Amino acid sequence: MNNLCTDIGYRSINKHGEQLCGDQVRVIEQDDNSTIVVLADGLGSGVKASILSTLTSTIISTMIAGSMPIEDCVSTIAATLPVCEVRGVAYSTFTIVRIVHNEAAEIIQYDNPHVILLRGGKNFVYPETATEIGGKTIYRSKVLLEENDAFVLMSDGAIFAGVGKSLNYGWQRDNIIEFLETVYDSGFTAKTLSTILLDECNKLYENEPGDDTTVCTVKIRQRQPMNLLIGPPSDPKDVNKMMSLFFSKEGKHIVCGGTTSTLAAEFLGKTVDTGLPLYVDPDIPPISKIEGVDLVTEGVITISRVLDYAKNYLETNEQYTDWSYKKDGASLISRMLFEEATDINFFVGRAVNPAHQNPNLPINFNIKMRLVDELSEALRKMGKRIKVSYF
Amino acid sequence: MKITICIGSSCHLKGSRQVVEELQYLVAQHNLKDDVDLCGAFCMGDCVNGVNVKLDDEKFSVSPETVKDFFEKEVLPRV
Repeated sequence: MNNLCTDIGYRSINKHGEQLCGDQVRVIEQDDNSTIVVLADGLGSGVKASILSTLTSTIISTMIAGSMPIEDCVSTIAATLPVCEVRGVAYSTFTIVRIVHNEAAEIIQYDNPHVILLRGGKNFVYPETATEIGGKTIYRSKVLLEENDAFVLMSDGAIFAGVGKSLNYGWQRDNIIEFLETVYDSGFTAKTLSTILLDECNKLYENEPGDDTTVCTVKIRQRQPMNLLIGPPSDPKDVNKMMSLFFSKEGKHIVCGGTTSTLAAEFLGKTVDTGLPLYVDPDIPPISKIEGVDLVTEGVITISRVLDYAKNYLETNEQYTDWSYKKDGASLISRMLFEEATDINFFVGRAVNPAHQNPNLPINFNIKMRLVDELSEALRKMGKRIKVSYF
Repeated sequence: MKITICIGSSCHLKGSRQVVEELQYLVAQHNLKDDVDLCGAFCMGDCVNGVNVKLDDEKFSVSPETVKDFFEKEVLPRV
């Protein structure tokens, strides 16, 4: 056992004019601490391609998860896929990356551009063995994992990007490697790295992709705990209990909310240093400082912006260009939760702020509870382990 | 003299940023930077009357519209 875990993030763009994507990514987490990622690219585009790739990715991920040999998977797919009327073949390419116990990766590839492995931000050439299965050449590899390894899976839409438009022949896998090595930053999440490459492809396509394009990154990283405290406990007698549990936790500590940070400062025997408020973002209240706390912010307004960023992260992730560098409370929390953390403990106080109990005020207790619920759900979807404790 | 402006959630929504910026501007305009200490604070427990501003220990209710008036009537005479 080691302290590593996987961070998986992917995104697709559809062929110009298509509503469905012919590429599919499936991620399956297994009980024995293994993760299987399948990227399938169906022949053609639109509905037909979407059905082919959905079938392929689902069959493969289910069978591999059931420890079936790859030969059986391939023959099952060949026997199951409907044959295309136009082309007379049933066809979907695929890439499988199986991470076993966070120690080794098994890569199985059929006809997709080969997985790029970035080790320490540089291309790492891994050995491949070719096998014939049912007339198809399948490449298999086994790699022992190191921290910060990033496996970049892609459909062929990525290497065809720009053909006949900004480039004559598209860019090749080597060009993509060069691009990734240039932009790589060890702080990027899998989703961010995928987004950056996909945006570049879309740019080469001049925003009118000639093929469905998908990028999926599997990043190997250390587990990193993070703790977030919001709201005073409903029973004032529990303040000490809540604070001592919170501050005894391993990892960084974020405190959200004015009253909450006052209580946290009292518990630590320190003061809240607000200073002259600095408005980095006009809509987000300024942050303050307490010695011994990694970040102190306002509560609901800041968290509701974080929730917006989280929802966007799960979809197009276009707003990463905002939160990835800005210094307002919401961006700082977003970076700590989305990028740094893998395991997040929420300490939620259920006290009702008497000052907010007025129908003329836009804030109420339910908003805070709903925000925490939605945010923890979004973070779960990012693949993080979330624990919420109420006081 | 110390002016403390509440930057808690409620006061923020009622315009504490404008109040802070306007006060910064007025203080600079009257050359009072050495006499007046501006700072923020979290919830003062009186959200209904926000934006809450304290002159030393006395609390006032200010809004972006009344901040200039407040500065002239309450702050200037005390400097």
